[in-house]
Amino acid sequence: MMNPAHVWLVVAQEFRIRLRTGRWRWLLGAWLVLLALFTLLLDFGLKTGDSYLPDHSLRGIPLFGFLMLFVLGSMLIISPALTAQTINGDRERGTLATLQVTRLRPAEIALGKLLAGWSVGLVALALSIPFAGYAMTQGGLTIGRVAAVYGVVALLIGTVCAVSQALSALLARSITSALLSYVVTMTLAVGTLVAFALALPLTEERVVAVNPDGHRYTVNLSHPERVWWLLAPNPFVIVADAAPRVPPRVSGTGIESYDPLSLIGNDVRQLRSPQGWFVYTSGSLPDSEDKPVWPYGLGFSVLLGAGSVLVTIRRLRTPTDRLPRGVRVA
Amino acid sequence: MEPAGQAPSGGAATMEVTSTPTGPGVDVSDVWRFFGSFPALGGMSFTAPYGQVTALVGPNGAGKTTLLLILASLLKPHRGRVLVAGCDPTVDPAGVRAVTGWMPDTFGVYDQLTVREYLRFFGQAYKLGRAMLAARVTELLDLVHLTEYVDQPVHVLSRGQKQRLALTRALVHRPRVLLLDEPASGLDPRSRVELRDILRDLAAQGTAVLVSSHILAELEEIADRVVLVAGGRTVGEYAMADLRAQARRAYRVRALDPDALNRTLRDQGIAHSTVDGAVELAELTEEQAAQTLAGLVAAGVGVVAFEPLGSDLESVYLAMTEERR
Repeated sequence: MMNPAHVWLVVAQEFRIRLRTGRWRWLLGAWLVLLALFTLLLDFGLKTGDSYLPDHSLRGIPLFGFLMLFVLGSMLIISPALTAQTINGDRERGTLATLQVTRLRPAEIALGKLLAGWSVGLVALALSIPFAGYAMTQGGLTIGRVAAVYGVVALLIGTVCAVSQALSALLARSITSALLSYVVTMTLAVGTLVAFALALPLTEERVVAVNPDGHRYTVNLSHPERVWWLLAPNPFVIVADAAPRVPPRVSGTGIESYDPLSLIGNDVRQLRSPQGWFVYTSGSLPDSEDKPVWPYGLGFSVLLGAGSVLVTIRRLRTPTDRLPRGVRVA
Repeated sequence: MEPAGQAPSGGAATMEVTSTPTGPGVDVSDVWRFFGSFPALGGMSFTAPYGQVTALVGPNGAGKTTLLLILASLLKPHRGRVLVAGCDPTVDPAGVRAVTGWMPDTFGVYDQLTVREYLRFFGQAYKLGRAMLAARVTELLDLVHLTEYVDQPVHVLSRGQKQRLALTRALVHRPRVLLLDEPASGLDPRSRVELRDILRDLAAQGTAVLVSSHILAELEEIADRVVLVAGGRTVGEYAMADLRAQARRAYRVRALDPDALNRTLRDQGIAHSTVDGAVELAELTEEQAAQTLAGLVAAGVGVVAFEPLGSDLESVYLAMTEERR
């Protein structure tokens, strides 16, 4: 159905056009400076806070954690812009229809454009690798942890690009699709937190608790294990939880409480276990089973991305029957 | 020249036609297309044969662009059927695309690319082989006189040059059917003559060329056949020669003695009026005009000028759209 050579033809074409329009060198240069500045200040902060760090030789772990949260946050801001105008922008410029009447298939056009946008995002991501490398020299980091985090961030960039592209295929005006792409990204990053915070009180139950001294009383108990999945699609949660746990040898030092990735990961995993408050008061702490959240989040993300690609392909299929309001075919 | 028998081409730019196409290049029968409840096309029918240039002429909003979009396999008709080179674009769009070149009325070009890159990209998108593509690019740029711009970015081209570049894009895969939407608009007279020559050549080589315009006179020298459309319907299909014969138009007459001219016309009962000092005759067919002139000369009027006013086709067009009201 799909010819890789044709996908590549579209990728190369998109790349050439992108390279010649934007001020890429300046933008990427600015991004590099920003990364350097962030790493420098972060490193300084962790060094002066030395006395707080339980083990100075593990400084790489929190350094990498904060750095990657910063990188992910930045990528979530950059990525929608990479593809949010690829389809309707071409339509506005009058270059889409001439492409559609060639022998390129809709899937080849959709994938080619997506891969071009995605790879620009990956280039931006790759620029942070030297700084992650620096973190590795600061101790405690394994290559597996670094690779896993980068892999997940790369996938998430792809998802955001795919969703933004689908919106640009669905909506007539490029300004609308660009705006909506940011709304979707913010929904994933912030909206999920808000939704969880709002849903949690709804799970509250009045239960009877017993004090160790036998005194019985009622208390409101919430059930995060019923709504934890609201947090699963959150990109920060996915990345943090997908990062491999620090080995026991290291976690014994307590360095985890300085590493945002470990903190977020542990927190969301705990949400999946029934809350032990009243059990705790009755004397026994439930075994906190290690139930990871990231497979759900990543699965959701991959499905969202794949679905978006399918939507884009559908919208590129011609001859069309219906036209979105205000769209000229050519 | 390219080697003959190159893949899907029907030999548009070479004299060897690999397969003799049967049926017309474009066959439109009773096509309807609605936008909302508005029928942009309300039962349009016509054919455009191979080897001829067919003009699709009608006022703005007559449905020309919509029809060309359907023929180019971008839009589905709601009723009726179109065949392009024997393929139904709703059933086999790929088959239509392989043999059809389409140039829309408004289009964008990738401003950042050079002329060569632009054409190469579309050549590859039409699955042309690398080796033949380089030769094809040279040949096409030569055809539209853009050779010296081959390594210039597209944005330095003028409007007319961009139009010519877009034409080469539509021709890159040697289509058997060529669909051009308002190609002559915005072209200077010289470019228009060149466009005419290119289209005549393509037709001579067996391509079915369908050209739309809202100005009939624009296509007078390009087209063999005229399909007049209005309100989404076909108003008439004519051979250009027939159309000329039945065209009526006004004539302006000057004579050595204007009074004698006026008197004779009055005596012979020929309707006339005086406009800006010149005598104008009401609309006449070519035959009537010849008789009138003969009558004037026979009556001894010293006729020094007897000239038709306006384009003959324009009058037909106006008459046709008049009847519609």
